[in-house]
Amino acid sequence: MMIHPSHLKEAARSLLASKQRTILALIGIVIGIGSVIAMVSVGRIVQEESLRQFKEMGTDILTIEKEFGGGGPPGMQGAPGAAGGAAAKAALRLDTILAIPSRCPGIAAVAPSVRGSGDISFAGKKLERCSPMGVTASFLDINKLTMREGRFLSDLDEQSRYCVIGSQVAAELQKQGASKLAGSKIRIGNNLFTVIGVTNEVPQGGMRRFEPNEMIYLHITTGLRVFANAEIQSITARVSPGTTNNAARDQVMAYVASLGKGQAVRITSPEEIIAQMEKQMQMFTLLLGAIGSISLIVGGVGVMNVMLVSVTERRREIGIRRALGAKRGDIKGQFLIESIILSLIGGLLGIIFGIGASWLIAHFAKWQFALSFSAILLGVGVSNAVGIFFGYYPARQASLLDPIVALKSD
Amino acid sequence: MLTLRDIRKSYRIGPTEVDVLKGVSLEIQQGELVSIMGQSGCGKSTLMNIIGLLDRPTSGSFMLDGAEVSYSDDDALSEIRNQRIGFVFQQYFLLSRLTALENVALPLVYRGDTGTNSHDRCMELLKRVGMDDRANHRPNELSGGQQQRVAIARALVGNPSLILADEPTGALDTNVGGEIMELFKTLNAEEGITVVIITHDPGIARQCKRVAVMKDGVIVP
Ligand SMILES: Nc1ncnc2c1ncn2[C@@H]1O[C@H](COP(=O)(O)OP(=O)(O)OP(=O)(O)O)[C@@H](O)[C@H]1O
Ligand SMILES: [Mg+2]
Repeated sequence: MMIHPSHLKEAARSLLASKQRTILALIGIVIGIGSVIAMVSVGRIVQEESLRQFKEMGTDILTIEKEFGGGGPPGMQGAPGAAGGAAAKAALRLDTILAIPSRCPGIAAVAPSVRGSGDISFAGKKLERCSPMGVTASFLDINKLTMREGRFLSDLDEQSRYCVIGSQVAAELQKQGASKLAGSKIRIGNNLFTVIGVTNEVPQGGMRRFEPNEMIYLHITTGLRVFANAEIQSITARVSPGTTNNAARDQVMAYVASLGKGQAVRITSPEEIIAQMEKQMQMFTLLLGAIGSISLIVGGVGVMNVMLVSVTERRREIGIRRALGAKRGDIKGQFLIESIILSLIGGLLGIIFGIGASWLIAHFAKWQFALSFSAILLGVGVSNAVGIFFGYYPARQASLLDPIVALKSD
Repeated sequence: MLTLRDIRKSYRIGPTEVDVLKGVSLEIQQGELVSIMGQSGCGKSTLMNIIGLLDRPTSGSFMLDGAEVSYSDDDALSEIRNQRIGFVFQQYFLLSRLTALENVALPLVYRGDTGTNSHDRCMELLKRVGMDDRANHRPNELSGGQQQRVAIARALVGNPSLILADEPTGALDTNVGGEIMELFKTLNAEEGITVVIITHDPGIARQCKRVAVMKDGVIVP
């Protein structure tokens, strides 16, 4: 079989001759290829996005959390201690945490934090979407946060009634009529706090386990005293330069174990979080892949149908071509080219559709959009394969027609 | 150039076997201009399709240029049709989506020949049949006689040694039919192409050097 430009031209012409049917067959292919492309390209975007966020936070950050005993669910903040039945392990004391860098050479700095709850108001009006957290001075650097105005809490602010607010909280205060942010007073529960600084806005999403823009930071000692049932549950630690995450983790584990009395922590490294995210991505990929494959099969059957009808309608043409010397292979090739072109057109539309969809998803999820060339290649390859696979049977039917039978049919 | 010996063709329709060709023997020499006449349904087209290698006989022997072809494989038959036989049909059988020029080029396409040479050759043949000014017209923009001229150009483009024409003037009026017949006569006289024409028109048959008459599935002597 030979492929000439004239064959391609003829294939395009005969597809155009039956526009409606062609378009109907294309829909399945477009949806199929579209979802495959959207899947691959969203996967790429998410992957790049998470990598970008890791780079922003640094890959030398360990998260140390209190291990809950007996496999019970983590106690709700503010809920009475061991309400779940299983006894929670003893809380980590602030001084033992602050001693970690001196006891574990692999850890350069630690930033423990304690979350609180309760009604928050400003000038008598309730503030929505904000949450208080007790932190240390090291918190700012480890979490790669920066100040927009004022200063952050320092180690000299122990037990103080100062607070630092995120950009979202600042905007909320201004909406409620605060003329100057510094010096504004925010009520948390029964206590009044004076704003001494505002942090810069941080892009949404990311590796931090809190929403920096919506935070009201107090000094951790203040937090431990004023929050109900306050308990340090999460510590962010920076690994010393030249120490591997694993070595640092082992040191911390050993240190905590040496404290005795059922003290235990769970330590998560960025690699583990990446691995977990990749696992989630795989599930997502599998799901979209299944949708994509099903619509591709539906689309392929559509292509096969178009081609079968086309073969039946063009028996006379097949007969004429055979009379003029076309071999079976030539006829087979002609119809295969047609079904491949049909699928490729669907594939190209699907690629556009899929990339458009992933752009929209990225736009609304506030991820950075990235064009995935492997997705485009995949789309072209898959639609080509669909064209060959589903076009083969009709093309073979056409090629097996007896010349005289084909010529005599109308 | 072609020798048929006791060619039989039967069709099975349900339980009954219909014998259409009942032992046709026929010899045609290189350069002959032969017409085949006979009543409708006597099997002329059936015979022509067997000679044109579009159909296979149920039994009998068919030698083309000294070689037995009735049992050749499909690709070999396609190649012989492409290289050595030109067809002209009563209904012209041009492809409606292609221009006159592209229709004429088809036999060359199946030889893998689509270059400028092929284009020139096709134009030359369209000129020969007086259709070069309609090269880019589609069949539905041409009259029946014009379409048949294009079909003849297509039959000639591959330099065949045998032209098979099944009622080539059957759909044309006497004048136009006469012109087409003139074309066949010139081709036969000037280039020595063997031409076999099926016709119901005694006027056409009279212009051929030899007339074979068929009756009831055999050639009457
Ligand atoms: N595929 C077929 N199946 C069954 N019978 C067939 C088939 N093809 C042809 N016949 C029969 O063979 C006989 C001869 O047909 P053929 O077309 O050869 O006649 P013809 O001589 O060309 O007639 P006309 O002059 O009308 O064209 C007819 O009786 C026809 O019914
Ligand atoms: Mg006939």
